[in-house]
Amino acid sequence: MTLDSLTCGQSAIIRRVGGSGALRRRLMDMGLGRGVTISMLKVAPLGDPVAYHVLGYQLSLRKSEARLIEIEEA
Amino acid sequence: MAAHALTIALAGNPNVGKSTLFNALTGSHQHVGNWPGKTVEKKEGSLRIGSDDIIVVDLPGTYSLTAYSIEEIISRDFILLEQPGAVVVVVDAANLERNLYLVTQLMELDIPLVLALNMIDMARKRGMHIDVRLLSARLGGIPVVELVGNSGIGIESLKEAIRGMVRRTEPGTVHVPYDDAVEAELPRLQTAIDNAGFARPRWSAIKLLEGDLLITDTIAQRGGGALVEAAQGAMKRIEAATGEDAETLLTDGRYQFIMGLVDGVLTRSTVGRTPSERLDHILTHRLLGLPIFLLMMWFIFQLTANVSAPMVDWMDGLVNGIFGRWITSVLSMVGLSGTWFESLLVGGVLAGVGGVLVFVPVLMVLYFAIGVLEDSGYMARAAFVMDRAMRVVGLHGKSFLPMLVGFGCNVPAVYATRTLEHETDRKVTGFLVTFMSCGARLPVYVVVGSALFGAAAGNLIFGMYILGIVVALATAFILKRGIYRNQPPQPFVMELPPYRMPRMRDIWRQMSNRTGSFVREAGTIILATSVVIWLLLALPVDGQSAFNDVAPEQSAFGAVSRGMSPIFEPAGFASWQTSGALVSGLVAKEVVVSTMNQIMVGESMQAGAEAAESVETTTFGEDLSEIGNSLVETAVLTVQETLNIVPRTLNIIPGLNVPELSLLGAGEEEDTTALEASLVRLLTPLSAVAFTAFVLLYTPCMTTVAAMRQEFGTRWALYQVVYTLVVAWAVAVLIFQGGRLLGLGA
Repeated sequence: MTLDSLTCGQSAIIRRVGGSGALRRRLMDMGLGRGVTISMLKVAPLGDPVAYHVLGYQLSLRKSEARLIEIEEA
Repeated sequence: MAAHALTIALAGNPNVGKSTLFNALTGSHQHVGNWPGKTVEKKEGSLRIGSDDIIVVDLPGTYSLTAYSIEEIISRDFILLEQPGAVVVVVDAANLERNLYLVTQLMELDIPLVLALNMIDMARKRGMHIDVRLLSARLGGIPVVELVGNSGIGIESLKEAIRGMVRRTEPGTVHVPYDDAVEAELPRLQTAIDNAGFARPRWSAIKLLEGDLLITDTIAQRGGGALVEAAQGAMKRIEAATGEDAETLLTDGRYQFIMGLVDGVLTRSTVGRTPSERLDHILTHRLLGLPIFLLMMWFIFQLTANVSAPMVDWMDGLVNGIFGRWITSVLSMVGLSGTWFESLLVGGVLAGVGGVLVFVPVLMVLYFAIGVLEDSGYMARAAFVMDRAMRVVGLHGKSFLPMLVGFGCNVPAVYATRTLEHETDRKVTGFLVTFMSCGARLPVYVVVGSALFGAAAGNLIFGMYILGIVVALATAFILKRGIYRNQPPQPFVMELPPYRMPRMRDIWRQMSNRTGSFVREAGTIILATSVVIWLLLALPVDGQSAFNDVAPEQSAFGAVSRGMSPIFEPAGFASWQTSGALVSGLVAKEVVVSTMNQIMVGESMQAGAEAAESVETTTFGEDLSEIGNSLVETAVLTVQETLNIVPRTLNIIPGLNVPELSLLGAGEEEDTTALEASLVRLLTPLSAVAFTAFVLLYTPCMTTVAAMRQEFGTRWALYQVVYTLVVAWAVAVLIFQGGRLLGLGA
């Protein structure tokens, strides 16, 4: 399961951060580490990007980026 | 080392109130510039604690210290190369866990740290409690200071901590413990790095294992090839033992360390939805989000385009009217009245100074608006709401604002690109904004349009705005799919910070700092161009006229214009007069119409001559009262224009026509009937369209070029000049030749 499949209000635990290079580094630096709990808050008016709640703050990701995050049910 | 001991650096994530702390520490003793060769702002200030003078350097706000973004490289290099006496790491107390990630990276650099726990009031409001003593102890005893930066609480304790720190020599000793497989490899690698003579062995070893490109290259270049190979061997062993790559394990290690760190330090009591969350629900609402965003942008556009206009006029009147008169009267006292020197001062230098100063009100208004948007936290939402639409042409959601501001004036639009985080996005957006049809181009369309199309001039004007947008989008497409094709798309991974009241003191400081650096850095180019144009107009080339007393046609300016006109033959406007208008339009688009008036209708060309002809003898006292009166008038007009945003906004709705407020009666309009008559002789309807298209697309003005140079460097500014000239010419030719093929016009 990947992060983009979460629906509004649902939470999950991050299992693996995919991608490569700068993007992967950036995702990990912004708090998307293994074992971290993340929940989905809302979708932007045009359907993308999506806002998440992680490590006590709001993070916004494009759907293409959320697809790189493997999650498991909380 | 001793020489650097009294420099400290401020580090921290974006949106943690770092600027506020910097301002609180350094007060007015600060200097804003750019990091050498980079488009990233560098702020430096000084601070006196007791008898110590301490230089404070504000590092760019970053989430991490990798080699992937300029801001992070700048911060890292500064710490590694300049070796500040201490780094104050500013941490948002309400967002402790993620902020501590940067702290773990700074700890690895073995540099004395002071942890400034900022916005502690916000954290408490959200039901968070932080055990400061325990946190300090777990971080190896580094000072942890609680602060509320915007009300000054804790600043004195922070100063004390800094003072204590820069005198200490031994750095902290706590290290992030990593996965066993990593820790098994680290000592060997560290020893090898140490033996090879490289500094900070543990940090270098970690960076090598992480695959940090910059560090790996640096070490390899300095004869550490064996070390790089050893690290690669270690990475393979780690991956074989754990099934994970070293980079992941290192990041996991940091987060696990943070989880252990905050356990027992941070306690949360649950509170309901914060006001910030409730506000966000409306501002990013699925249906309301977009209209609110558009309304907000429209408001800022109105602010920069119309509300600043009375202040611009006032500044213009002050410089060209009263200052001109003063210079003239001082010169006549010393017997230089009517000389070329007077003409140079008034027509060249003063016009140039005026050309710089008229942008000051516009830029102040823009920086104010941007300051409020960024400081309040809305800017990130604007990008969130708009990103999907802007991505169609490969741009970021934040590119929308600069492009919109461009319709008012391209100069603030170039500076508005500062809100973008990535240099490529910033440069591409800066490249595009100059195609947005600014307010100064409009009079050209109006005059040309009403001369050749009469009542249908509106169609020409509308067409030009659309053409500008189309060319900008096409350029974005070419840049993103062409030149930057091989660059990975910039990630959108972005924080949506909680809303807060913008802090006016910080916004004011940023406004005056940035406007000041515009005057300093862009001013020279504008002044130089103004003097060059003056010189061209004063130099006779017909062999008969005297210096500074020559008709435009016989001046060097006329010669240049004539020499250029064949280039415009295929576009249908080859007269020297139209070329001349285009040449002076390089200085500023607003002079295109007045230049056409002067050389086509035959008015006096020299700006100074006008003032000299109508010599008004005013006393100094009268001048002062005129300045006072015009200032009051400006204030009234500014209020009027602010209020008029309402009718202007309502009038967008078709069928609605709310009258605008006019407190001081209508202003005088320039009379252009004579000009229109001569335009009909010089242009056909078809070549008029080609001409206005050229005016729209070619190099916007020297001030924009100067702004581009300040923001993106000389080379990028030159690319821009060449590109706009080529595109403008190509489009103009395409319109004229295409039109002829279709049988339009003769």
